[in-house]
Amino acid sequence: MILHITKRELYDNLNSLRFALTVLLLLALMLTNAIGHLHEHPNRIQTYNAAVAESLNLLSSHTDDSLYKLTQQGPGKLYKKPSPLHFCAEGGERLLPNIIEGGSPYVYSTGIIGVWQLSYPDASINRKRVGPDVTKVDWAFIIAYVLSLIALLFTFDSISGEREHGTLRLMLSNSVPRHTILIGKFLGALISVSIPFTLAALMNLLIISTSSAVHLNTEAWGRLGIIFFIALLYTCFFLALGLLISARVQRSAVSLMILLLIWVTFVVFMPSTLASIASELSPSISSDEKWTQYSQMREEIWDRYNYVAWSKEVDRKTLTAKSAFFFEKAEMAERLNQEYLTSQMAQVQHARSITQVSTATLLQYLLESFAGTGFARHSQFVNNAERYAQQYREFVVDIDRSDPESLHIIGVPEGMTEKKVLPAAVPKFEDTLSLSKDFNDSAMEMLLLTLFVIVLLSGAYLAFVHVEI
Amino acid sequence: MITLIRRELLDNLMTFRFAAAVFIMLLLVVATTAVLIRDYERRLASYDTAVKKNRQKMLERTTYSAARLTIDRSPNPLSIFNVGLDKRLGNRLGVNHFFVPTLWDAGKHGSDNPFLNLFSSIDLVFIFQGILSLLALVFAYDTLAGERERGTLRLVLTHPIRHGQILFAKYISGMICLLIPLLMCILLVLIMLTTSASIFLSIDDFLRIGGVVFMSFVYLSLFYLIGMLISAATRRTSTALMLAMFVWGFLVLVYPNMILTAIKTEPHPDTTLSAYNKIKRIWEEFDRDRLQYLANDPVPGEKYHFDLRGEGYTFRGLGGDYPSSLLYYHLTGFNFKTLEAESEPLVPHVQNYLRFFVPQVTNTAERIWLVRKPALDALYTRPAKIEQMLLKFSPVGLYDAATEAWTGTDLNGLQDFFTAVQRYHQAVIDYYLDNKIFESRLWFVGAEGDIDWNLMPQFSFKRSDIGINAKRAFPDLCLLLMINLVLFAIIFLIFVRSEV
Repeated sequence: MILHITKRELYDNLNSLRFALTVLLLLALMLTNAIGHLHEHPNRIQTYNAAVAESLNLLSSHTDDSLYKLTQQGPGKLYKKPSPLHFCAEGGERLLPNIIEGGSPYVYSTGIIGVWQLSYPDASINRKRVGPDVTKVDWAFIIAYVLSLIALLFTFDSISGEREHGTLRLMLSNSVPRHTILIGKFLGALISVSIPFTLAALMNLLIISTSSAVHLNTEAWGRLGIIFFIALLYTCFFLALGLLISARVQRSAVSLMILLLIWVTFVVFMPSTLASIASELSPSISSDEKWTQYSQMREEIWDRYNYVAWSKEVDRKTLTAKSAFFFEKAEMAERLNQEYLTSQMAQVQHARSITQVSTATLLQYLLESFAGTGFARHSQFVNNAERYAQQYREFVVDIDRSDPESLHIIGVPEGMTEKKVLPAAVPKFEDTLSLSKDFNDSAMEMLLLTLFVIVLLSGAYLAFVHVEI
Repeated sequence: MITLIRRELLDNLMTFRFAAAVFIMLLLVVATTAVLIRDYERRLASYDTAVKKNRQKMLERTTYSAARLTIDRSPNPLSIFNVGLDKRLGNRLGVNHFFVPTLWDAGKHGSDNPFLNLFSSIDLVFIFQGILSLLALVFAYDTLAGERERGTLRLVLTHPIRHGQILFAKYISGMICLLIPLLMCILLVLIMLTTSASIFLSIDDFLRIGGVVFMSFVYLSLFYLIGMLISAATRRTSTALMLAMFVWGFLVLVYPNMILTAIKTEPHPDTTLSAYNKIKRIWEEFDRDRLQYLANDPVPGEKYHFDLRGEGYTFRGLGGDYPSSLLYYHLTGFNFKTLEAESEPLVPHVQNYLRFFVPQVTNTAERIWLVRKPALDALYTRPAKIEQMLLKFSPVGLYDAATEAWTGTDLNGLQDFFTAVQRYHQAVIDYYLDNKIFESRLWFVGAEGDIDWNLMPQFSFKRSDIGINAKRAFPDLCLLLMINLVLFAIIFLIFVRSEV
């Protein structure tokens, strides 16, 4: 029976104006997305490769010099690897920095060169671009905004419309249980929405994958599969919402009105407003505070060590003091940088967890984490870089330890080994993504989305069972 | 005619959709306004701290060459209506003698968290843009198709009434219905704005808000007419509703984002690079001249700071390597509190050198500006203008641009501020030249309190007066009105020719 109702719904929908318009709209959007991606992605990859090559060249030239040079100058610039699934979710990548610097060994303006530290560039506020601010047409936009609206347009009259025409009474006079009708309608709507979406998505992927410029590996396809599944789940949410309101309301015009207002509130209004409120609840360190603290601590370290700063002595005591001076300064600067970044990211994280109340934002975050872009990806990048920095430091100590002639005082040229280091031995930074980790991290959000869908579906069921016709 | 309007009005006002519309509108607008006012207060507080801090830092400096003149941009209270570029562009700009400041050199106050820009920010115009248009369509889609379906249209037309009158009555009554929630919202917003302690609105500001409201009205009318057009062209209300929704989705949601993803407006990177290299070359040439001068100088072998010794420091740089904003400059400065006795004989030489050197720097900066301005325009302003124009093919873009012009948060409005900073930059240089400060001893040595910083020219900026706002909004307003008229004419034609 369910099959029968589903089939009927499907035929009804396939012949309708809304289906044709949906197909057109989704195809146009996905085409724009694919073309935009093909246009931009090769440039992105090229820039990344060139930058990484330059950074590695610099590193190997330091390697040729000495181990001391490596200790002094650090690993250089570390770059975030662009995701091949950038077209799924842009995730504010143009605002996020794509680089972390491991360098700047200068101590004060006096020309003494100490040791390197990690420093994190600020998120660019894009203040140089003066054009209008628009959302990029990516899958996240298409699904979160357009597909949800379409799902509502397919269901707002599915029960109230039949009631208006009197066909509902007719249908219920046959001995069909109500939940069968509801499930049939739900499935019918789901299939009729997913046909155009699947079509458009396949076309999009076809264009992208036939181009030689973008390479999608097995993992990327797996991620795309998950993204597609999430999109369907999200569509179910709005279909269920549509059925719920449609069952409760007598007239379809009213039902649409209510649905649209809910849509505007949840999809458009809530994400930004809640973010603004939430970010106020957890203030971050301001850059002024950071600088005040930095200059204080710098002064303090300088007062303790300035007696060795200019010293030309090479006895063990002076060298140890110099090394301690350099490392304390670098650690202090790195710690402050980290604290500053952590407080900023924590504020954003806080705001993000609150905005998840809106399903559209939830979907946005899910897509971002599976596409390997956006904020969650950025914190992964930061973690990767920090882990690498640790590895790099350990490498320097290990190499130095292997030379018995060295004084083992890291950070001063006289205290370190003078043996050559093989360029191949130096650890290289590789920014990696792992699907299982992403999956783990976003399991909560997926469950939340599923929960929302189940709640709404049972709500629709209860509403439909109790309603009088 | 009046009877018709009254009938339509009552029909509309008594519906559930009207009540729901008013309720949701008010709720959203009040919540948004509260958040936006809070946001404005925070920006204002950050501005106040920055001004205080900068003033304090300026007073700490003891020589003119180390002067720290920083201009802060205050947030625009009308950004609550349309935030435009007000929040995005830099709000701190240093004024120096070695380059002409532009909006691309501006930085941000230190208390912001730039990561928060990941969240989109909304304003009242954005809410109106989405919801007013939606309401207008929902009210209009069944005005003609509904009556036709129910057969009441035929009934009405049996009376000796002209088609035009019916249309007009429907239009007027629909607009009145939509104006009620709009005006209620505006009044609530005004109440919230005037009761807030931190926001001061002048009479001009109220007039500007009036301009925004008028634009909203025209925008509303445009979408109402689109709805009527769909209603007149279709036979069934359900078709009309579907069409209306898709038209809304396309115009409001899809088009603005799609068109700017599809069309790339960035200029060729070589053009900017060549401008940057040209600027760099000019400065390097200048540096050669400077070295030439030093070589011919009677004091042999001195460096740029003439080996001055004393309590304090010197700084120098040829650089400021910012290709993205085409900034490259020559910077030399001294910050001595006292000089040692053995450096004193050098002072006349230094003064001679500075008399030649610093005016050259300002002249070169002027020359650079002639290269930099067109290059920056090509790099940033022109693409922005093209993008804005592309958006104007949708009424949403027109509405946004026009309200931005009224609130003064558009590119022109912000450029006014930066032009004022440039004027101030010129005034400071004139002040330096008039008082022979470049060659004075205070340029490089000064104890605390030697310079009275209060004598410096003061920066002041007044937002452009309302006439200019109106002038900037006028073309878009005209376009919106024109589309309104054309739509009305089309509806009339369709309605007259259609069979009932």
